[in-house]
Amino acid sequence: MKRLLGVALGILTAIGGFVDIGDLVTNAVVGSRFGLSLIWVVGVGVVGICLFANMSGRVAAVSGRATFEVIRERLGPRAGLANLGASFFINLMTVTAEIGGIALALQLVTSIHHLLWIPVGAFAVWLVIWRVRFKIMENVAGLLGLCLVVFGVALFLLQPDWGQLAGQAMAPAVPQTESAAVYWFYAIALFGAAMTPYEVFFFSSGAVEEGWKVKDLVQSRINVLAGFPLGGLLSVAIAGCAAVVLLPAGIEVTSLSQIVLPVAEAGGKLALALALIGILAATFGAALETTLSSGYTLAQFFGWSWGKFRRPVRAARFHLSMIICLVVAIGVLATGADPILITEYSVVFSAVALPLTYLPILIVANDPQYMGKHVNSRAVNLAANVYLVIILVASLAAIPLLIITGAGA
Amino acid sequence: MNRPRNTPTSLKSPPSVGGPVLDAQLHLLDRQVIDVDGLPVTTVDDIELEGVEADLPISLGARAPVISALLTGPVLGTRIFGGRPPSSRLIRLPWHDVSAVDVTVRLGVRSESLSASWVERWVRDKIIRRIPGGKHDPD
Repeated sequence: MKRLLGVALGILTAIGGFVDIGDLVTNAVVGSRFGLSLIWVVGVGVVGICLFANMSGRVAAVSGRATFEVIRERLGPRAGLANLGASFFINLMTVTAEIGGIALALQLVTSIHHLLWIPVGAFAVWLVIWRVRFKIMENVAGLLGLCLVVFGVALFLLQPDWGQLAGQAMAPAVPQTESAAVYWFYAIALFGAAMTPYEVFFFSSGAVEEGWKVKDLVQSRINVLAGFPLGGLLSVAIAGCAAVVLLPAGIEVTSLSQIVLPVAEAGGKLALALALIGILAATFGAALETTLSSGYTLAQFFGWSWGKFRRPVRAARFHLSMIICLVVAIGVLATGADPILITEYSVVFSAVALPLTYLPILIVANDPQYMGKHVNSRAVNLAANVYLVIILVASLAAIPLLIITGAGA
Repeated sequence: MNRPRNTPTSLKSPPSVGGPVLDAQLHLLDRQVIDVDGLPVTTVDDIELEGVEADLPISLGARAPVISALLTGPVLGTRIFGGRPPSSRLIRLPWHDVSAVDVTVRLGVRSESLSASWVERWVRDKIIRRIPGGKHDPD
């Protein structure tokens, strides 16, 4: 019974933890411009993150080594440092976007300008990292994030033309109002949002934090394989709501209030309140994960002591680096930079950086010295190689498309 | 034949040794170093060899060099950008402190006593310890 509860809890937190500010914004933008004609990308992304998270979790559980230790060992200091630079920069961008997301959500709730909420949000993130146990932090954020299910409910309440939506989703085509380049640009953005590299740093380091062993692998696999696809459905619901309400009205998503507009229209104040709680929990949870990830990547590259399972004094540089990251994020946001815009860029750059983390994990997951008999099976390797091609193509095409389309304008 | 000048024409097979053979590049460099309590200390940034002179050709019958210390700290920069730091500036983990080598390098001493962990100690004592709650386990 207890085991069953553990599995259920794991799945629920995986669902609630799947969505972050990148998924929220990108799905709403895509829904409002392309209907459901890009929704297949969410499917591709979800399968990819399942595959990827599973491999990195297995590497961490079997060898006890987290992602960036492995990256440095395999790539050496020079390529490793270049990798760290790129991954860390994009991760910091995501931290900034998530904290901006927290502030925007709080602005919607309180009508106090989001610039005032930024230090408060960042401080709360730090306090949780400083004082709250890993397991509790994970579960509370994940469970509250489940409030986002209200987007799914709203989609039903809106009574859309299901045939038309299914037609868009099943037979994807570039809408007449948009060019092919913009279509593929948003395909890559959506892919990057679903497969953000930080989830892999966090997943593998979290496995070390929670002390996973080989026998825990089954449960982690269930969490991933059930939780992430259901989380992906939340993403689809967000895009669906935007497609039904915002697309016909010609509203372009530039703020959080437009993302929740369909929910308010369908379900009134109560639904809106739930959506806001969900967004707050999702962005707060993701802010915790990305901030920790920036500490994890630095500490693992340089071999510092790290982990929330240790007291802060036993992992001093790890905690100091996270404090500095939060201060930098506050500084960037204090310039008045638009958090939604930062988010849109961060998901594209996430797609650019994906091969940097994906390839080393794939190599080590096949190395018997680390993995013993738990190396990748042939089926996993086949799928992993297909995804390697997809990830490389997305990564190489992202920057040219970003320039050609003027960031999807 | 365009062999480099210093390479012997026929290499002797390596001497047989008791125990496993380690490849310094593969099994030591860039590996995590963990102290006797399981606390990560650093990563092996470089290795110091004794019994071999830099830039000089190795004569044929010379004794094999031995590892005297694992190096850490700013020496990492020289592996990335090239150059060589003065010997006095190196932060050493003496090889006799190493107790085991597998996917990580394990030390038989506590990191508290090592010069390699002075930055960690400084950050801890000057900053992290002074923030309330830093000394306690998370709740």
